[in-house]
Amino acid sequence: MSTIASGEFWAFVGVVAGIYTIFGLGVQVQFGYTGLLNFGHVAFMAIGAYTMAILTVKTGIGMWAAAVIAVGVSILAGLLLGLPTLRLRADYFAITTIAFSEIVRYIALNEDRLTGGSQGTINLAGAGTAAQYDESWQHFQGRVQDWLGLGSKDVTMLVLVWSAALVLLVLLHVAVRSPWGRVLRSIREDEDAAASLGKNVFAYKLQSLAVGAALGAVAGLFYAWQFSFFSPDDFAPLITFFAYTIVILGGTARTWAVPVGAVVFGVIFAGTRFFDFPPFSLFDSADRAYLRLAVIGAILIGLMAFRPQGLFGKREEMVLE
Amino acid sequence: MSALLEVRDVTRSFGGVRAVDAASFDVVAGSITALIGPNGAGKSSLFNIVSGFLRPERGTVHFSGRAIQNRAPHRIARAGLVRTFQTPRALTRMSVLENVLLAAPHHVGERLGRVFATPRAARAHEDAAEREAHRLLTLVRLDGQADAYAGTLSGGERKLLDFARVLMTEPRLILLDEPMAGVNPTLAAQLLEHMLAAREERGVTFLLVEHDLDLVMRACDTVVVMNEGRILATGTPDDVRRDERVVDAYLGAHA
Repeated sequence: MSTIASGEFWAFVGVVAGIYTIFGLGVQVQFGYTGLLNFGHVAFMAIGAYTMAILTVKTGIGMWAAAVIAVGVSILAGLLLGLPTLRLRADYFAITTIAFSEIVRYIALNEDRLTGGSQGTINLAGAGTAAQYDESWQHFQGRVQDWLGLGSKDVTMLVLVWSAALVLLVLLHVAVRSPWGRVLRSIREDEDAAASLGKNVFAYKLQSLAVGAALGAVAGLFYAWQFSFFSPDDFAPLITFFAYTIVILGGTARTWAVPVGAVVFGVIFAGTRFFDFPPFSLFDSADRAYLRLAVIGAILIGLMAFRPQGLFGKREEMVLE
Repeated sequence: MSALLEVRDVTRSFGGVRAVDAASFDVVAGSITALIGPNGAGKSSLFNIVSGFLRPERGTVHFSGRAIQNRAPHRIARAGLVRTFQTPRALTRMSVLENVLLAAPHHVGERLGRVFATPRAARAHEDAAEREAHRLLTLVRLDGQADAYAGTLSGGERKLLDFARVLMTEPRLILLDEPMAGVNPTLAAQLLEHMLAAREERGVTFLLVEHDLDLVMRACDTVVVMNEGRILATGTPDDVRRDERVVDAYLGAHA
């Protein structure tokens, strides 16, 4: 049980929590503020990660330019998804978005020549050719590490991810507290009432989807940089529901509840691996890893029953219905 | 006098039923016009068509000279034709003040780009909107509850909130769907007072669906009577009261 005490392990947990914070902020703006049930959020993460990696490896443009384009492509994908689907009723929209994320994943799986297929980005440049998309990132991370005098790469990554997460958090906070955010919340409450007062509901829903898509793509970029390799399996629908868990855990319609939810989620998710006391010690370590899903489920059920507004939500404003 | 709203031959069916059947009428600028008729006469459908929530199969709706029958509801609202709903649509999980602020027209702070590019302009707009919102809430005597969630208001208070919210849009024509239904007499008198004041001070025109005939006959300039989707009669309250067809279809015993 030396791992549980190691700083490196918890730095890793922190990095993942930071990535999920950025990812969860997208769900917060779409679901928490606008009431859009986008169950295909992971698609934007995949589009962000894959676009950056593919452009970097297969074209001459640099990784940073590729990263910016990746966010733009993800926003475009969000608009393309929204145009035909946002007029659907909420439940049909939700189903369509799941299908969308699976379509993206299946394309990544089957278009080998473009994406590397099931073997992931290791195959990006074709079999037998080494393909690295994150050289520029490693270089940048090394310089930051030297400049700040940090001890390890993990800690450096922790600082970088959370810096980005905090900047995005502040920007989103300003946005949702503005009159723009007020319109989003009015759509969540009653879109006919919003339309009757002159608000272009469809345009605001599109904007909300696009902002969420951009945040999802940025999360995808950090995901790609953190792991230096990824494959279609990393973007299963389950990841979207992790983000929903985080948002519901922290509290809907609260920007700063997202990082809290992400950290709590990250600690439970990673920490349950090391539960070695009864009754968990009855299981072997491989089985215990699966227990975490059960524990997270139990926590969610408990929240629904006793604190439906999440840890920090305002009950009057955002009781889950 | 000129017509602010012109409804011509508007028709709309649901299944085999003609909910609105070649309906035509005018709403004169500066008037209070009532749309009355028995349940199922097509009043609500007609309201939905005029406000853009329903498309007519045939016919036109002109608002201050422009055809609006194919426009989206938010565009009609922005042009100055604003409606309320039969049950007030207070945004319950937002504050009373926010409900009114939401209705501010042409608010630059509602554009995401402007929130970041010109934060001062957005702030200035918001400050002006807040002053106006407080003024309107004071008018309907809800300013004491400005920071409460709208969900905590009573049904009658929600009607007042609805009214303040509609005024906030700077409308030229307000469509009120049964404003007096379920409202106690004191509040009803208050609402009527607000309507008359809005007409006087802001030049607002009103079109309302209402079952309180006493109020209709007393306060309205023109009465449009609907029955089975068709316009049965149009005229002053006195004209309509004396109309045999209206008495048979709706008023019942001779009033």
